[in-house]
Amino acid sequence: MSSSLELLAEIRQSSERRPFAVLKLAEPLLNTRGVSRAGDDAWLVYEQVFVSAIDEGQIELAKAVLVILRTRFPSSQRVKRLYGMINEAVGHPDEAKTIYKEMLEADETNILASKRLIALLKSYGHIGETVKQLVAYLDIHNNDFEAWLELSNLYLTQNLYPQAAFCMEEVIMQQPANHYFHLCYAEISYSMGNFDLALKEYLRVVELSTDNVRGFYGIKLVADRIRDIRAKPKRDQNARIDDAPQPATLDRLSQLATERLVAAYNGANDTCKKTAEEWLKA
Amino acid sequence: MSGLAESTEQVMFLDPAIRNWVLFPITVIMVLVGVFRHQLTILMTGEPPKPDIRDIRQAKALIRGQILAQSNSYIPLSSFTERKKFLCSAFEEGEYLKNKNAKDQSPVNLMADPKNMEVMMDGMKKQMMGIVPQTLIMGWIQFFFSGFILIKLPFPLGLRFKQMLQSGIMTPNMDVKWVSSLSWYFINLFGLRGVFSLILGGENSADGIRDMTAMGSMGAMGQQSGQPQDYNKLFMAMKDNLSIVYHEWDLANIEQRVFVKYGKQSRVFTSAAK
Repeated sequence: MSSSLELLAEIRQSSERRPFAVLKLAEPLLNTRGVSRAGDDAWLVYEQVFVSAIDEGQIELAKAVLVILRTRFPSSQRVKRLYGMINEAVGHPDEAKTIYKEMLEADETNILASKRLIALLKSYGHIGETVKQLVAYLDIHNNDFEAWLELSNLYLTQNLYPQAAFCMEEVIMQQPANHYFHLCYAEISYSMGNFDLALKEYLRVVELSTDNVRGFYGIKLVADRIRDIRAKPKRDQNARIDDAPQPATLDRLSQLATERLVAAYNGANDTCKKTAEEWLKA
Repeated sequence: MSGLAESTEQVMFLDPAIRNWVLFPITVIMVLVGVFRHQLTILMTGEPPKPDIRDIRQAKALIRGQILAQSNSYIPLSSFTERKKFLCSAFEEGEYLKNKNAKDQSPVNLMADPKNMEVMMDGMKKQMMGIVPQTLIMGWIQFFFSGFILIKLPFPLGLRFKQMLQSGIMTPNMDVKWVSSLSWYFINLFGLRGVFSLILGGENSADGIRDMTAMGSMGAMGQQSGQPQDYNKLFMAMKDNLSIVYHEWDLANIEQRVFVKYGKQSRVFTSAAK
């Protein structure tokens, strides 16, 4: 019994989204009223079960849990947001929207409501509206790097690369040591045509995360591209290679990338290895 | 005539009744009072004041400036310049200020703001809760339990402590190791912190030491906490800060660094060869 509670607490801690596991762990607890043994944590468990239930589509269970929570916390904003979520889950977006707007009118600073509103708009595909709300949210809470990340993704769905790059820069400023963010930024720069910047960022990825295959692919692609652009007299309008390194350095980088990629594929099975080697030779 | 050559321990026999009727009761009382204080503080602490959204925006705008100043080496020069220009002009205009119109007025008197009154009252209540029981217990101990020694400390102390720890017992020769009940009170004060964290969990209000440090810093902080933060000045300072930041891009010599990392060359310091 207690180990289930511990596992549930761990899942809460790591904020993983594992609805099936949570429901499986929680089912015996709910049936035998073992949840009361958790003491004050019981309400957290109920909230967790609620979210997993609507994730899995078990609306009846979610409703039951919601009633329990409402009885205990009749005027809670946190519970109100759960009402909004269940409305979203059964397909009543307008009711959900009303609930969130009410919460925001009552308290402008309620982060839960703002975020749920944005998520609601996104899930219904109103990208323009979502972006507007998210930008308004970020105007106030500009140190929420996850929100910046979300905004960057939204811009990418609309192929707005400069805006997406701006958001990634904000993320990088707040989390400079995370190689994945540099990777995103590198790939956005590459897609935009800022090859010099892309090269530097890919190099940063490879510095932060040894033998990062995606990083090395990026280096090879960009180095080759820069070489091609320099060779051809007529340049692509969007390409920026002013800050790119000398040809000698480019060659060395390309060589290093090839080498590390070959080493990386050494452990792979034969078809993978062959395909990679053929591509690398080209 | 106790010369320095003499090293015999002073041996004294204490009535076990002292142990039963003084030692334990003092400890027990202190524990109970601590728990009582903790519960009372929980009851009395009001809800923390809800922050106004404009306050949050103001504070976070400042944080944004700080992050830019700190982490500017991770983004390219063009991005940094863009942001610097934007933030500097925004700070200049007072874009993020709570009351844009009142930018040039002197800061509002803190006393007049009702929200802040509550916060201050809460703080003062907490202080009272800390000081009053301590004083009471000290007085009680002085009154009832003075004039005799209670315990023998296992470690030696300097003679200076004699006055504090043996208050009420005027003997020139008694070792400082023998101490009175007041010093037992002090020992408990410092020692019961561990016990309280076991009983009451980490953050508890029964901490005697915290009150003492609070009392000490209260005098120093008294003048400062009266002023509200003048955000206009802070923004101006941040703007000046940003304008003198020298942007040095972290990735300027990244090619060299990567070569070094993968063993292709030993470190080259100058950025001459790109």
